[in-house]
Formats: sequence, C-alpha cells, structure tokens
Amino acid sequence: MTYELSTPDQWLELYGDALYRYAITRVRDPDLAADLLQDTLLAALKAKDNFMGQASEQTWLTGILKHKMIDFFRKSSREKTDTMGDEVADYKNDSFFDEKGSWRVDLSVWSKPDKALEQEEFLAVLQRCVDKLPQKMSQVFILRELDGMESEEICDVMAISSLNNFWVMLSRARVQLRHCLDMNWFNQ
Amino acid sequence: MLTCKEASFLASKEMDGTLSWREKMALRLHVGMCDMCRRYLRDLKRLRVMMRRAGIVGQTLLPTTATLSEKARERIKQALNNAAQFHK
Repeated sequence: MTYELSTPDQWLELYGDALYRYAITRVRDPDLAADLLQDTLLAALKAKDNFMGQASEQTWLTGILKHKMIDFFRKSSREKTDTMGDEVADYKNDSFFDEKGSWRVDLSVWSKPDKALEQEEFLAVLQRCVDKLPQKMSQVFILRELDGMESEEICDVMAISSLNNFWVMLSRARVQLRHCLDMNWFNQ
Repeated sequence: MLTCKEASFLASKEMDGTLSWREKMALRLHVGMCDMCRRYLRDLKRLRVMMRRAGIVGQTLLPTTATLSEKARERIKQALNNAAQFHK
C-alpha cells in the first residue's frame, strides 16, 4: 500500500522554516543551513517511494536532514584537523579562574523560577550565548545537550581525538555559557 | 584538595561520562565545602534540563520568527522543480 505524501513544493511550504531552524541551530551559517535543507528535500524526492508512513512527514524529513548534517560534520571536521588542538591548548589562559584555580567571576544565584525558562525570550538568550562559543565547541555542545547524543559518537563525528579533549571542551563551554546566562538573563 | 577549576571540570565530566571513585569523592568533598561550586553543579543540571526540554519540544533554540530567506526559498524551489522534471 502506498501513502499519500505532500508534493515537494508543499514540503518547502509546510516544513521549510522548521527544518531550516533545525539546521541553523546546529551549523550556525544561514547559507550552509539552506544548502542542507535543499540536499534534504532533493534526497527526500528521490526516496519518497520508500516512505512507509510510520512517522509523520516532518519527522521523516527531519531524520534525513539529521543524516545530511552528521555527514557534513564528519567531512568538515576531518578537513581541518588542527582546530581542536587550538581550542584545548588555550585552556590554561582562562578568564574564569585565577592562577590558584579559584573562581574569578561571581556566580550569581539563579533566582528566576524555572517556569520563566520556557519562554521564547529565554531561549533566545540561550541561543545567543551558545553562538558566542567557538564554532566547534558550540556544535559539540548542541549535539550533546540539545540532541542528547552519546559522548563517543560525538567524538567520532567531530573527529575529536580523545574523550579527555571532549570533556575539556564541554567543560569550557559550560563555564562560558553559565557566565553568559548570568550576565544576560539571571543577573540583569 | 581540588581547586574550583578542577572541581568544575569534574562536575562537567560527570555529565558526559563516569568519574572514578576517587574523582567522585574528591568532587563531593570540594562541593561540600564550596558554595560557588555547589551552585555551579546545580546550575549545570538545570542547564541540561532546559536544553533537553528545548531539544524535545522544538529541536531548536530559535524563535519561530527565524525563517528561510526568500532568496534561498526561491533557489530551493527551483532546484526541486528541476529534479522533479528529471524524476518524472
């Protein structure tokens, strides 16, 4: 039995923006996100006869996009292998801790109720803070925290040479993010 | 005795892997005595909850006002039409 799918034009109409947001949250670059969206819809067009209707159309398309994105990360992270080293190396020059390893910044109490954290307004601040991280660091953070991908899989996809480097990278990301949220949301 | 920097690293590592028994004890000991790190640890967990929630709800941090540009939309429409002709 065959399942009724919308036409590719309708895919773009119905899910284009949602898929675009999915892509740009993870790759950050608008042109690149649009390219990934185009690749996804073209791949979907080719594969539409295999669509069995177990998932919604949008879930099916998002799944294809996710594959395209992981492929992209795999390729691009293997092209520039030296960036990882740089990001770990400057861990020593840390603006968040003094030379004795104590906090240099103040950690304010997050007093706003968690309910407030569901607002789009808060998500926008979070997005801006994630965007301030170095590119690879933010991509790793998103894969880990937004997508819940396992540590080993992220190391493989992003060509991170050791779990220790991965932990160092994420630890830095979290210190920076927490501070950014302090400054821009909790402690305004 | 751990420094705050070391403690912050272990607190983060615990979220992505497993700590050795020794690391775990060292972290608990430090956090037991350090208000800042206790707060840090708690907020990391909250940050995780917020991110996962956003991941499940919309799979994005962006507001729905973030949309594909008209130019990109036209380009993709064109590419789809060309490919659709080809597949007929």
